[in-house]
Amino acid sequence: MEDQIQALQTEALAAIETAADAPSLEGVRVKYLGKTGSISLLSDGMRNVSKEDRPRIGKALNELRNSVTQALQDKTSAMEGAREAASLSEVDTSLPGTSSSLGSIHPLTLLQERAVKIFRRLGFAIADGPDIETEWHNFDALNTPPDHPARNDQDTFYLPDGRLLRAHTSTIQIRTMESQPPPIRVIAPGAAYRRDEVDATHLAQFNQMEGLVVGEGIALTDLKGTLEFFFRELFGNDAQLRFRPHFFPFTEPSFEIDIRAEAMGGEWMELAGCGMVDPAVFEAINKRRGDNAYDPEKITGFAFGFGLDRLAMNLCSIPDVRMLTENDLRFLKQF
Amino acid sequence: MNISLQWLRDYVDWDGSVDELVELLTRTGIKVERVETSGVNIPKVVIGQILESTQHPNADRLSVCRVDDGSGTPRQIVCGAKNYKVGDKVPVALPGAVLPGDFKIKTGKLRGVESEGMLCSGKELGISVDAEGLLILSPDAKVGDAVSTLFPSGTMIELEITPNRGDWLGHIGVAREVAAFTGKTLRTPETIQITTHEDDSFLRNDLEECSFYSARVIRDVKVGPSPAWLKERLESIGLRSINNIVDITNFVMMETGHPLHAFDLAKVDGGIVVRMAKEGEKLLALDGQEYSLKATHLVIADKTTPLAIAGVMGGEKSGVTQATQSILLESAVFSTTSIRKTSRDLVLHSDSSHRFERGTTAEGALKASARATQLILEIAGGKADESVCISGSKEAAMNVISFRYNRCRDLLGISLANDQIDELLGRLGIQRLSGDVDASQWVVPVYRLDLHREVDLIEEVARLHGIESLVGRVISYPATPTAGDHAYDFAMRLRQKLTALGYYEARTSTLVSAEAVRHTAEQGLLRLRNPLGEDQSYLRPSILPELLAVLARNIRYGARTIRLFEIGRVFHSGGEAEETSRLALALTGDVTDVTWRNEAKRTFDLFDLKGVIENLVRGKIAFREKEFPGLVLGLEIFSGNKSLGCVAQLPPAKAKEIDARGPVVIAELDFAALQAMDDQKLRTREIPKFPAVSRDIACVMKVETSYATLRNALQEAREPLLVDVQLFDVFRDASGNKLSANQKSLALSLTFRSIERTLTSEEINATCDRLKDLLKKSLGVEFRE
Repeated sequence: MEDQIQALQTEALAAIETAADAPSLEGVRVKYLGKTGSISLLSDGMRNVSKEDRPRIGKALNELRNSVTQALQDKTSAMEGAREAASLSEVDTSLPGTSSSLGSIHPLTLLQERAVKIFRRLGFAIADGPDIETEWHNFDALNTPPDHPARNDQDTFYLPDGRLLRAHTSTIQIRTMESQPPPIRVIAPGAAYRRDEVDATHLAQFNQMEGLVVGEGIALTDLKGTLEFFFRELFGNDAQLRFRPHFFPFTEPSFEIDIRAEAMGGEWMELAGCGMVDPAVFEAINKRRGDNAYDPEKITGFAFGFGLDRLAMNLCSIPDVRMLTENDLRFLKQF
Repeated sequence: MNISLQWLRDYVDWDGSVDELVELLTRTGIKVERVETSGVNIPKVVIGQILESTQHPNADRLSVCRVDDGSGTPRQIVCGAKNYKVGDKVPVALPGAVLPGDFKIKTGKLRGVESEGMLCSGKELGISVDAEGLLILSPDAKVGDAVSTLFPSGTMIELEITPNRGDWLGHIGVAREVAAFTGKTLRTPETIQITTHEDDSFLRNDLEECSFYSARVIRDVKVGPSPAWLKERLESIGLRSINNIVDITNFVMMETGHPLHAFDLAKVDGGIVVRMAKEGEKLLALDGQEYSLKATHLVIADKTTPLAIAGVMGGEKSGVTQATQSILLESAVFSTTSIRKTSRDLVLHSDSSHRFERGTTAEGALKASARATQLILEIAGGKADESVCISGSKEAAMNVISFRYNRCRDLLGISLANDQIDELLGRLGIQRLSGDVDASQWVVPVYRLDLHREVDLIEEVARLHGIESLVGRVISYPATPTAGDHAYDFAMRLRQKLTALGYYEARTSTLVSAEAVRHTAEQGLLRLRNPLGEDQSYLRPSILPELLAVLARNIRYGARTIRLFEIGRVFHSGGEAEETSRLALALTGDVTDVTWRNEAKRTFDLFDLKGVIENLVRGKIAFREKEFPGLVLGLEIFSGNKSLGCVAQLPPAKAKEIDARGPVVIAELDFAALQAMDDQKLRTREIPKFPAVSRDIACVMKVETSYATLRNALQEAREPLLVDVQLFDVFRDASGNKLSANQKSLALSLTFRSIERTLTSEEINATCDRLKDLLKKSLGVEFRE
């Protein structure tokens, strides 16, 4: 009997080993472990084994059954593993990824955000003001003469009640000083409007960023340092700045800033206007406030402004400013 | 304004290059718009004569010329042109010459034949666009001379002059600045002393609009062509020569910056009257146009009719012509406001009005008059009246400004010493009158109409000293966030969430057409008084029409999936808040991009956008059906009783009109209301310790019973163990086999959980049965197994 067990084990394990696929392995299982399989039949023979031999033979039989079962399991999982490996090897990993779609933020907003972040590092807060303004906020308070051409119907949009659409975000300077005493350190991104015929470089509605710093002891050197810091952060350390004397009614001295940087093709670009707040502006504010909080003898300050559309065009190589308002998805998807 | 470099050099002994001038002017605050060179200024290009021309042995289209270049030894040059004959004089570029475009001329072989230079076309020399053949020179040209003697070079520089600096609107003014910045000497032409008299019968002027008027009579002039130098000067800045008298007035204007006008004395009836025009009075001006004048327009008239629109343009009738024998030379000062207004009313802008608008002085007027008189006598002959008839004061009050040195140093942040500051101001012709270590008094030259206050002088110090040498200072200090900061930050957070959800930010115009505002009542609209066009005449009361236009445009461009949003201002008249901000969304097209997975296709509908809004808004919101004009499936969005905005769909016909692939869904929400709900507090709820169990039920109910009714009924049951309800199927049976036509089945997954223990099946089944009973009783719901 023990010889039979031994022979059967050798035979079964060899059959398992040589089974080539799942059906033949199943055949092997049935042949040995099935109800009428060889091992079952051998177990039936236990009845004829003597009492003293029974434990030993029984154990051997159990071992036989276990080893064959184990071998079958091992062989099955080896076959499954091989099948999975074969199926994985057929996956074409060069198929394109199927991403979930992301949208994008408009380039003007992205640029505005970059600018805001830089100024915030210097401790600037954000100020705001309405698009619909009074002539006083847009012109008078900013020391613009009563017959200045910019006040014309041809240049500035008016509402029937005599108010206007702000021609620059400098109105926010006035709004801010009207409502709070110095010191002030704000930036103000916003829309401005001019009656320009729309073409590749002009929009009737455009986007500016205004800045104002007011307090005791603010000097031209602060203006220079702040704007140098800002533009180098924005365009890179290679950016060169040229402060060109200019004229604005609301600052004195006044400058235009030309910038040359690799990021913008290495050509001089006129990008911003700036200057020391004109004492006449402080006087207009004091008169409106009814106090002397902005005493021009004690308080000085600087202001600056630049067009975001122009900056975006230069930085992103946008040939036509109208692309910024057309909102073609093929354009927006690039950001 | 245009200036000529060569002309400029008449007034300042400065001999730098064009590039240096551009750099210098930029530093002074004069912006250079454009530099244009004319003529030839290329060394080693000489006048040559073709002595002989033979066919090139190796090239049919070339010939070999022997050319006399004046050196005595003829040179051999290979040439491709055909338009010359032997004996012609042509420009010869000698080896070493550099033609425009950095084209270097060398001796070399052309198809095997030695060529010692090049015969040039006008294009190659940069003086004409015509490239056809050689530039054939005059037979009188002298062989060997530089070609530049035939085409004298000129450099025209276009300047942008800021409106405060009218004194820069003439060559002398610019030269003065060059002198101040370089320390070179300014040379202004000597003018004869002028004696003046007043004569009310010949010159009547009592208007504020004309603070000074001078009329000089010059008799027996000979009107004719201008001499070459004068023509050349005017042409060098793009002016046309007319006749010697008119040219001289223009020349003096471009020299001094002060406009002049010459009348034909014979056409002046009885004398000059400076007056306001009569309403409707007509004048034919020198530009050939007839202008209808208003009572606010200043005119120069004689005793009967207007002769000129004062300071803007002369009249045709009184202009100087060949027939003119005697002239009346006007040099005056007109009010800047009056000229600006007239010029604007008549849409007539001239070199003269441009200068009067920026301010002129009586001193300048008299100097210009004297200078022009002198030139007229020299060029056109004649005899000038001894004395000039004037009206008004010929001298301005002395303009004295007090100046504190420390104030200057503090404002600029510089450490210039007093005497350095004095020196800078002195260079600009500003004279120190008196002063001490703290402050000084300064007399401003009359032509500097822009200097009145201490800060104006400080600006001059900054300008002359230059800002380059200043060391920038950066101070930063903490900033308390403002309402502006909070709104800005919230807007950025919204943008980030929306882009993560696949939305693209659009930015559209706030100025829109009447069509775009048709759904808003007229009294709520803000309309511009002076729009650029009807399509930009209203301030938008909603972002949606423009955003829909963007959506339609992108459909036309072929986009299959369109998700857009914009955060921007809207405007309403009469309400509490005229300007508010909104978030607008627009959605259409395929839910998934085309991929290789063969996923089921679906187009966006109302519920996609509803889901976005539910995700976007923190806090509880409710949607209630409401009709919106021009939209269908409208839902108003509420937070409590506060309306946040709306979400709706375009009527299918409208969507079809723009070729949308499926429903077009839009939403608009009030930005401030969203911000108010944006709770920035960070906190967590405990994560449940015990497992949840789900049971699915299929509720068969009447078609008209809404999901919300079902859901509310479940909520109102207040079963403590029911923690979530998910709708996972909506089923109707068109065949009528499983459900009748007026029924629908909503499949819900109910989730149960206790925070205290693991639930038993019995508990859950009991709860579920209670809920089913309730739905059956209250809504007549039946359940499908």
